[in-house]
Amino acid sequence: MKKKSIIILVVAIVAVIAIIGSVISSYNDFVEDYEEVQAASSAISTQLQRRADLIPNFVETVKGYTNYEQSTLTAVTEARSKVASASTVNEQEQASDELNRAISIWVNAVTEAYPELKANEQYRALQDELAGTENRIAVARKDYNEDAREYNTEIKRFPGKILASLFGFESVDYFEADAGASAVPEIDFD
Amino acid sequence: MKKRFLRVFCIAVLCVVCFTLTACEQTAVLTSNKIEPTEKFFVNDYADIITEEDEQAIYQNGVHLNDSTTAQVVVVTVDTVGDEVISDYALEVGRNWGVGDKEKDNGIVILLAAEDRDVYIAVGYGLEGAMPDSKTGRILDEYGMPYFEADEFSTGLLKVYNAVYNEVLIEYGVSPDEDYVPLDQLDQGDGKKVLISWIILVVLVLLFVTVFGRRGFFFIGGPRPPFSSGGFGGFSGSGFSGRSSGGFGGFRGGGGGFGGGGAGRGF
Repeated sequence: MKKKSIIILVVAIVAVIAIIGSVISSYNDFVEDYEEVQAASSAISTQLQRRADLIPNFVETVKGYTNYEQSTLTAVTEARSKVASASTVNEQEQASDELNRAISIWVNAVTEAYPELKANEQYRALQDELAGTENRIAVARKDYNEDAREYNTEIKRFPGKILASLFGFESVDYFEADAGASAVPEIDFD
Repeated sequence: MKKRFLRVFCIAVLCVVCFTLTACEQTAVLTSNKIEPTEKFFVNDYADIITEEDEQAIYQNGVHLNDSTTAQVVVVTVDTVGDEVISDYALEVGRNWGVGDKEKDNGIVILLAAEDRDVYIAVGYGLEGAMPDSKTGRILDEYGMPYFEADEFSTGLLKVYNAVYNEVLIEYGVSPDEDYVPLDQLDQGDGKKVLISWIILVVLVLLFVTVFGRRGFFFIGGPRPPFSSGGFGGFSGSGFSGRSSGGFGGFRGGGGGFGGGGAGRGF
């Protein structure tokens, strides 16, 4: 009889240790995954900022070369200052998309008026930088979604779900492609 | 007796279930590796468009670059990238193969899709400073496009590879091929072209100074934007030491830090 209760006690202790251990390890997993999501999110911001910084150079070069009317630039300038003054991630995203649309409209207008620009080396260099930045933004967003998916799955599946709600881990939003994202300034050198 | 056994058994099963449930959470990472590196690693001619001779030349340069700088430049040719965007495809190759050194992320993937008539150079984080997108695009324009447009893929790829190879050597302070003219000095041979570009330069400088103040000078100074996204801080110039980290005979990657830098062209 005594032997029996000792066995039960040992098993119970092992079980408790196992449960506590798994709680701690899933908690740590949540924290790690959440940090990854945060890092991925700030990588996007960095690239958005890079693009916003790049655009004045681009605009100046084109302006110096073509004397293209100042008035067409208003939308670009306005959108750009919005990016600079954005305080939240959402605001920055929104302003960036606006800037993206404005710049692509402007670029199309300018290259239509001055086709010879496409042969200009400086212009091509900046187009490459701009396209590269676009690509970096796309990659950063994809990486973010990947991390977010991993994190969300982790906190939504059983038994993680119980722990996640216990510790207050909430699912994060995915980045959804903006409707104007396809209007990225295209490099077309022909 | 039997009852006791049953109880212990039940608890044991519960424990096992608990463990497996938590273990299940660590699911496998998603990998969509389509192609594997060949034995040569630096040359992977899946579209079969590079001649034996050029393949050998590229491979030798790849080995030399890897040994002297730890940087890895990899050529991949495929018939088509399918539904994917070529820049994504190149990025995936770089990441999945781990092109570049593990700590320096100094890998470059030159991908040509013959049927799609597209070419893209993906640059790893560690070389974004040495190979900004503008320079990458320029290399394609200068060394690749004339040949690609004429379907001379093998020659074009060899020339592009050599240009990238030499530019990376210069970045690491290793002497490049004797007959190689660095990209920033390329224009100086052509008299007329130089004059025109000087005039443009002077006009631009004046414009920048008046409109933009000091900021313009950064840009004129060359295609090394001050806003490059980090990752090349430590080792511009002769930042390499003789740290050849084993793994000879059958090269492999260890890095794979690619973030979407690079440039591409259709032809």
